[in-house]
Amino acid sequence: MSSILSLLLWLPIAAAVLLMLVPRRFGAEIKVVGLAAAILEFLVSLSVLGHFEEGVAGMQLVEARPWIPTWGITYSLGIDGISLWLVLLTALLTPVVFLSGWNAIKKHPKEYVIAFLIMEAAMIGVFIATDLLLFYVFFELTLLPMYLVIGVWGGANRIYAAIKFFLFTIAGSLLMLLGIIYMAFLHFHDTGIWSFAVTDFYGMHYRSLATEALLFFAFSLAFAIKVPLFPLHTWLPDAHVEAPTGGSIILAGVMLKMGTYGFLRFVLPFFPNATAKYGPWLIALSVIGVIYGALVAWVQPDMKKLVAYSSVSHLGFCVLGIFALQQTAIEGSILQMVNHGLSTGALFLLVGVIYERRHTRRLADYGGLGATMPVYATFFIIAVLSSVGLPGLNGFVGEFLILSGSFQTQPRATILATTGVILAAIYLLWLVQKVFFGPITNDENRNVKEIAWNEIAAMVPLVVLMVWIGVHPNTFIRKMTPSVQQLLTTVQNRGGAVMLTEKAR
Amino acid sequence: MTLHPLIESAWMNAVLPELILSAGGMILILWSAFFPKLRGTTAPLSLIIFIVAALSENALKGGNFFGGTYQISAITQLFDITFLLAAILATLFAREYLEREGIEGGEFYALLMWGTVGMMMMAKGLDLLVVILGLETLSICIFVLVGYHRRLPVSNEASLKYFLMGAFATGFVLYGTALFYGATQSTNFAAMTRYFATADASNPMLTIAFVLLLSGLGFKLAAAPFHGWAPDVYQGAPSPVAGWLSVAPKAATLIALVRIFASMAPTFHLARWSTMVAALSVLSMIIGNAVAIAQRDLKRMLAYSGIAHVGYMLIAMLSVRDQSVAAVTVYVITYALMNIGAFGVVSMLAKNQNDPQTLDDIAGLGFRRPFYGLALTVCMFSLSGLPPTAGFIAKFYVFKTAVDSGYVGIAVIGILTSIVSVYYYLRVVYYLYMKEAAEGYAVPVSGMFATGALAISMAGIFVIGIFPTPLFEMAGAAAHALLP
Repeated sequence: MSSILSLLLWLPIAAAVLLMLVPRRFGAEIKVVGLAAAILEFLVSLSVLGHFEEGVAGMQLVEARPWIPTWGITYSLGIDGISLWLVLLTALLTPVVFLSGWNAIKKHPKEYVIAFLIMEAAMIGVFIATDLLLFYVFFELTLLPMYLVIGVWGGANRIYAAIKFFLFTIAGSLLMLLGIIYMAFLHFHDTGIWSFAVTDFYGMHYRSLATEALLFFAFSLAFAIKVPLFPLHTWLPDAHVEAPTGGSIILAGVMLKMGTYGFLRFVLPFFPNATAKYGPWLIALSVIGVIYGALVAWVQPDMKKLVAYSSVSHLGFCVLGIFALQQTAIEGSILQMVNHGLSTGALFLLVGVIYERRHTRRLADYGGLGATMPVYATFFIIAVLSSVGLPGLNGFVGEFLILSGSFQTQPRATILATTGVILAAIYLLWLVQKVFFGPITNDENRNVKEIAWNEIAAMVPLVVLMVWIGVHPNTFIRKMTPSVQQLLTTVQNRGGAVMLTEKAR
Repeated sequence: MTLHPLIESAWMNAVLPELILSAGGMILILWSAFFPKLRGTTAPLSLIIFIVAALSENALKGGNFFGGTYQISAITQLFDITFLLAAILATLFAREYLEREGIEGGEFYALLMWGTVGMMMMAKGLDLLVVILGLETLSICIFVLVGYHRRLPVSNEASLKYFLMGAFATGFVLYGTALFYGATQSTNFAAMTRYFATADASNPMLTIAFVLLLSGLGFKLAAAPFHGWAPDVYQGAPSPVAGWLSVAPKAATLIALVRIFASMAPTFHLARWSTMVAALSVLSMIIGNAVAIAQRDLKRMLAYSGIAHVGYMLIAMLSVRDQSVAAVTVYVITYALMNIGAFGVVSMLAKNQNDPQTLDDIAGLGFRRPFYGLALTVCMFSLSGLPPTAGFIAKFYVFKTAVDSGYVGIAVIGILTSIVSVYYYLRVVYYLYMKEAAEGYAVPVSGMFATGALAISMAGIFVIGIFPTPLFEMAGAAAHALLP
């Protein structure tokens, strides 16, 4: 039994504990150690990628130890085609965060680094836990560091945003906890064994469709808040605007994906009948989110808020792709989660760069920056084009797969959602035009310092991946195909079987 | 009816920890009277006595004593250890608190010891009268301890309030016991079990007796609607006492209640008495959590949070089963660690103890005294039931028991009120880390004993939160001992 996943999980925590013991006056050294730990973690994640066997559908690199045996709770980890790229994305974005905040974080650097390392471990735990309760523990554990990151290093209205973020998420996840307990209870009732292993719930028998639907909603609510789906998205713009740059990158880059991942990993295979019945409602909400998010982004005077609302819009595509229940669409959805992490992470990073220099995020304060900061402008435009979905960059592939896949099962919703692509082009290019082109109207924009080494270092890997996914997406897609196939088989077999028995009655 | 010999040959065996504590208390009083200059040694001395008492638990052999009125078993030992843990934590916090306030004396620790003896009697009593004796021993110690800061008006006020209301509540318990005696001709749990096996569940006298008993003990638990005293008393009591008071007496009362419920089990369910307990539970969760939001005084906030936590513990008591007893046990131990820890940090705030200790007093503490900040944060997250802390495990156990026993509706209320509670627990963290300290606020003192106590609390919270299995096994064995 290999324990590389445990290493992946515990390395950041070990680094964080180590740093806790270092006196606060070694601020600079703490940053270096933090970055080194994050890079080491990324290397470990690359080695996970190396060990990952293509063509295997189920969990790989599996580890299982009893944790709370009386309740059948196990410390069990595993990785498959659905979670692989999300783990790598998490491991990539954490060093990016440290690099981008190298000079910007002056207040309490020690606590900043510790918070992000613990957050990284918790997020990776979410993606590799194969026990429901273990998953839940990590799902909640991500909240505390993010709450502190927004609340301590955030903007003017940070307290409101931090508490709103926390309360929204916990409201959903506590109801999910009750759902988890109830499912374990049902499983116990049927089999006489307490178990929280994810796979044990794949063949669940519910007493009625109503029970299944209730559980479906308990889980969906938690994930819908996290994604966030319209109309539960209101915490997101607040959290994003107030969070420090690093917080925004992680929030948009990884945390929102915990919601879409939850739909894929739990909601679909646990509740196939309820998914068949109520999935279209979630599709409707996601399409509303796509269009609403885009329209609201269009009228934002604040750059960060604009990017935040674009997240609502882009994540809507992911949810559409998931509930389309179609191979291509789901693959596109997973790829789009990674894409969104790269492009929106990059955009938040770049907005942070300019905010650091000019202390304003109002579009109206800018104009003509292309002349004063050509390198910065280049990076920004690449990130924007990736987000818009320009062929040759990653966004295009993801959106195209989602839309072409979804069209086969949900044509009407897909047609409506396609307008989101057009709207995205409008508001993002609008952003570029206002910030970078035209004459310099504001004298303060004449002498803005060009993007610094650490920010370039943070951007380069993101841009490389944007191009790589755009040009050769198969590197990424072929690793997820078997797992997605297996997922769909689980969903359709179970769904079909119960439909038949319902009809027979 | 045969008269049992009052003192059996093995009686020493039955009450060894109680004897150690009683004698230890007396020695302490004399010690501080004869050697006033050695006042600083009273706390370490009492720690030793508590630890010796805890070790003596090992020497005990299980069985029933004193004519079947006193039981030693796995559960009484686990609860004894819980009481001693609470007392040790309170002693550690009290050491520096009392010194700072200039009120140190051996009698403080002696009262803690005798109070602990009272609780041990409540936990071990197999007879309502023994439980009442223990309750009274405990109450008298609490009256004095709450008013221990005798020059402070708030402390006196708190003591008087607790005394008046507590005496009234004891009256209810006695009256309820008398009625039960009238119906069953015994106050012994074994006899009551035999009686209730065939009792007429519709007998109104039994219901009245149960209501009286539940009201009186509900007061000791600070369960809504009998919670009115708690905020005032906690606010006025010296902070280490408040922490101890918010935990240990509740634990003792809960185990007594479990025995009472168990002895009445058929009628308890048939006559819907469990519904009354459910009502107490729901009211406590709603009132406790809702009112806590409005509190700025930390001790009052913790008082209301304590009311809510009693609500959660009562959820598990709705069905008298192995599972529920184990859940309550786990919850009580967890609660002891996190709540005394929280009160302990409050006790370190150096300011005039007559003034309320508000959220403003901890503003910026997280960066000024990182260890205290971290400890209070961990306690808050544990109280709100977030993983990977013990509070999560305890709440999970309770909700699991509720779902298991068919009380899904109450579990939903518990979950919803938990969401509310997150708000005010988080607000503490917000003040700790996100608010700058205002001018003129004294940085809290740092003390070796308090730091040690906080380290114990935090270690316990994380160990139970991450490796709960040993505690589950102990609690399971304990529950089995109570409900064979």
